[in-house]
Amino acid sequence: MTARQIMTADDVRRAVVRISHEIVEKHGGTDRLAIVGVQRRGVPLARRVVDAIEEHEGVRPPIGALDITFYRDDLSMVAHQPIVKGTDLPFDVNGLTIVIVDDVLYTGRTARAAMDALMDFGRPSAIRLAVLVDRGHRELPIRADHVGKNVPTSRDEVIRVHVTEFDGADEVVIDRLAVAEVRA
Amino acid sequence: MPETPFVGQRAEVLELDDAWLVDPVSGREGRGSVRVQDGVLVSVEWAGDASGSEGSDAGTAERPSILVAPAFVDIHVHLRQPGREDAETIASGLAAAAHGGYGTVCAMANTTPAIDTAGLVEDELATARRSGSPVRLLPYGTITAGRRGETLSHMGEMADAGAVGFSDDGSPVADASLFRNALAYAGSLGRMLVEHAEEPSLVKGAEANEGLVATILGLRGWPAAGEEGAVARDIAILAEVVASYPGTATPHLHLTHLSTAGSVELVRRAKAAGLPVTCDVTPHHLAFHDGWVAGDRRFAWEAAGTPWSGGTADALPFDQSTRVNPPLRTPADALALWAGLADGTVDAIATDHAPHTQVDKLVEFGDALPGISGIETAWSLVQAGVDAGLLPLARAVDVLTTGPARVLGRSASAPSGRRRSREALVPGLVEGVPATLVLIDTADTWEIAPETLRSKGHNTPLLGRRLRGRVLATIVDGRFAYADLEVPEPIA
Amino acid sequence: MSAMPRTSADRAPAADRAPAEHEHVEAGAAQAEHGWTHRHLLDVDVLSAADIDLAMQTADEMKEILGRPIPKVPTLRGTQVTILFYEASTRTRVSFEVAAKNLSADVVNIAASSSSVVKGESLVDTIRTIEALGADMIVMRHGRSGAPYLAAQVFSGHVLNGGDGWHAHPTQALLDLYTLRDRLPGGRVAGRKIVILGDILHSRVARSNVWTLTTMGADVWVCGPSTLLRGFDRWAASMPAGRRLTVTTDLRAALRGAHAVMALRLQQERMAGGLLPSLREYSMRYGLTAETLRWARADALVMHPGPMNEGVEIGPEIADFERSVVTDQVANGVAIRMALLYLLAGSGPIEEGRNRA
Repeated sequence: MTARQIMTADDVRRAVVRISHEIVEKHGGTDRLAIVGVQRRGVPLARRVVDAIEEHEGVRPPIGALDITFYRDDLSMVAHQPIVKGTDLPFDVNGLTIVIVDDVLYTGRTARAAMDALMDFGRPSAIRLAVLVDRGHRELPIRADHVGKNVPTSRDEVIRVHVTEFDGADEVVIDRLAVAEVRA
Repeated sequence: MPETPFVGQRAEVLELDDAWLVDPVSGREGRGSVRVQDGVLVSVEWAGDASGSEGSDAGTAERPSILVAPAFVDIHVHLRQPGREDAETIASGLAAAAHGGYGTVCAMANTTPAIDTAGLVEDELATARRSGSPVRLLPYGTITAGRRGETLSHMGEMADAGAVGFSDDGSPVADASLFRNALAYAGSLGRMLVEHAEEPSLVKGAEANEGLVATILGLRGWPAAGEEGAVARDIAILAEVVASYPGTATPHLHLTHLSTAGSVELVRRAKAAGLPVTCDVTPHHLAFHDGWVAGDRRFAWEAAGTPWSGGTADALPFDQSTRVNPPLRTPADALALWAGLADGTVDAIATDHAPHTQVDKLVEFGDALPGISGIETAWSLVQAGVDAGLLPLARAVDVLTTGPARVLGRSASAPSGRRRSREALVPGLVEGVPATLVLIDTADTWEIAPETLRSKGHNTPLLGRRLRGRVLATIVDGRFAYADLEVPEPIA
Repeated sequence: MSAMPRTSADRAPAADRAPAEHEHVEAGAAQAEHGWTHRHLLDVDVLSAADIDLAMQTADEMKEILGRPIPKVPTLRGTQVTILFYEASTRTRVSFEVAAKNLSADVVNIAASSSSVVKGESLVDTIRTIEALGADMIVMRHGRSGAPYLAAQVFSGHVLNGGDGWHAHPTQALLDLYTLRDRLPGGRVAGRKIVILGDILHSRVARSNVWTLTTMGADVWVCGPSTLLRGFDRWAASMPAGRRLTVTTDLRAALRGAHAVMALRLQQERMAGGLLPSLREYSMRYGLTAETLRWARADALVMHPGPMNEGVEIGPEIADFERSVVTDQVANGVAIRMALLYLLAGSGPIEEGRNRA
């Protein structure tokens, strides 16, 4: 293993706070704004973004969770179906500006699936994308509106975002895929 | 299908120096050597003193792996000709028999048309001669005309033409009165009735043994009572025929493919009462059990638990090759059959070799034609039981040779017909007679596969499995019926 | 051809196997999640408690989709699901069809009466034809026990058993379990007394429910006239420790303290077979009525896999009773079938032997 830390817990915290400011600034406030985390690690990150907004704006925007499994375009290539984690959008998406929060932006396929999933719930007035790490290698014409850190990577590397809720600590590490993990 | 070398050729010179000889005629068993020359068993030498008398298993520990015994006799096979030559022909069936170590087979009459006239019996014998196989074919005729269970077939004429006995096998003679008449009439001809004992109303639509496996798999049950009720009826009628019909009639009831502990017990009691009844069991009812329908592939004596509780499931359930009539029973039933062989209640092992085409087998379980193609795997299954200690080797050979020959020979005193005496069917290991032998490597294994089977029927749940006990050669009346031997000198 | 041992090692976490081109490479070692490993759904006897839990959780997600204004997701886009029914059925067939369409699958419907089956085509040839026409999954109902196993033998895709003979009806048992978990207090099935009442002998619903409910720890009772319980004593006696199945002809004993009662359809043919004297006598002795239901717990649920013979196995006053969950069963059926279609679609060709828990 050659895992190397590229963001510490403090780096993660600062990035989230900055993104939360950017979101409010770009939207021009918090009215008709909602934050939606992509299962799995986007969900706790979205919660932190909302917490940060509440702290500096005094208003807590609605928050939701989105499972994009049913919208993936690679299901036939997966050995076993991914476990579905659940979608929970406790608000009407029509007319809202919705910020999708995810941990890593890579090919853009998850963001595409997340947009499709969201639009099945209604017609948001705008959809934006916030990610903790943008590692490049886009395969679709998609870019993030808010990025915690841009990390140039090669394809045989993997970015692992760890969050306290699932992994015991906040950090981002870059790792080289073991040979067995590189799948055709 | 591989070519069998030398089929039909005279066994010019064959020497086995250190083999295990089993002679069920004399009851002798032991180390020794045999020599065949010009088709005649010219020399049988027993090693050491005259040890190995009956029941002795001295020297078993270092028993040579090559077994020499008289060629086997199968009193229950289906050769499908005429009518279903796509499933088996007399030629392919005799080749399969030879590959299984058999020198004599008795063919059931449930062909299309059914063998119910002398002409059909003669045709069958002629076809067997033309096949070139030295394996002897002894045909059965039907009990009832067309196997329809309504009127008697032409039993006398068929007996004269060479029918060895009568059977509607495939179905029972359901009409008890007709069955009584048939038993008496066949008795007067010196022929046995071979009865497929089954109570039709209890087994209508049945798919598998009525028991745990059928319950869980939702298969229609074939209860033991469906067989035992018929066995009891048949024995009661036999007793009545013995008591009430003229003394010239010598009725002989043979109950084939008995499958339950209760059936064996009924025969045990009937024999104790002195009734002229004999019976056989099949290798698959001895070795398999109804767990095989659920995917278990352990032999009956290894079985423990069910596939759902601590047992194993080596294959998917509902394998059509496990569908057979009577159905595979419980492991306890199988063990009772072995016990019946050991104590003499069961006279013979008969294969009920029932080849079927894939078209008839690769269908829904309950629609698959019942039957297992079993004549080639019979010895390996019997040996597995012998190796597991269920039956002494000598008795196993006995129930494959002299046992069935005695069943056939019970009525050998009958005046009519061109019948062989039991001595001619199983001559024993005596010098100076045409060699009728089977040579088996009991240590070697062989793989049961479509390529290794001579039968056209590949319908056996043993496909893909390796079993011990490989037949090296079958010699009948001095001629090779099957041989897979390194021959020291060129033949002929 | 040896049995595949079912160990956790065989069940690589699904997330570990996600392809690298997707962002969601959730390769955390801590994530030893239970993945679906069954290529086909032929019977429920091979499903572990973890498998069943996974099916239930996935069905929860499907219910969420069903609650949307447009209950449709693109998950199985491009997947051809052929529904091959050799027996008449409305609710199961439609339920599968709706489930497949909700997942955007292409659905081909074949009713045996209108197919070449009536011209004598064998099942094997039918399956091969369906495969040649591009089917990825076959949902099959057949009157012969075990027929889906034959289909699975020759079909390279996935076979989903929609009911075979007396043998199994996996999705019905799973939707029954889902309904019980949904409606029983605390959502708990373990330790609860569940009664299956009626024609047990001929019922694939009963057999599959015995498996799933005993797997989940329920105290299962089957009850009916003795002629319709044949063989089940043996099954009860052979149940391994931890599974509870009781067989009785005594309705009162069966219902006493029951948390749920599932009445089965009684077929008219049973009279002709000499198994019962008359429908009237059956309903007098084994009909589930407001009166007999008093023997059960006051909050006992009433279930029926349908179609119901009101006035025979179930009194009309019970059929639309407040504790009747029959319509829940129908609604949950779609969610369960969506879940199974989804799970099977992603299972690889790995199931060689089988091992029952």
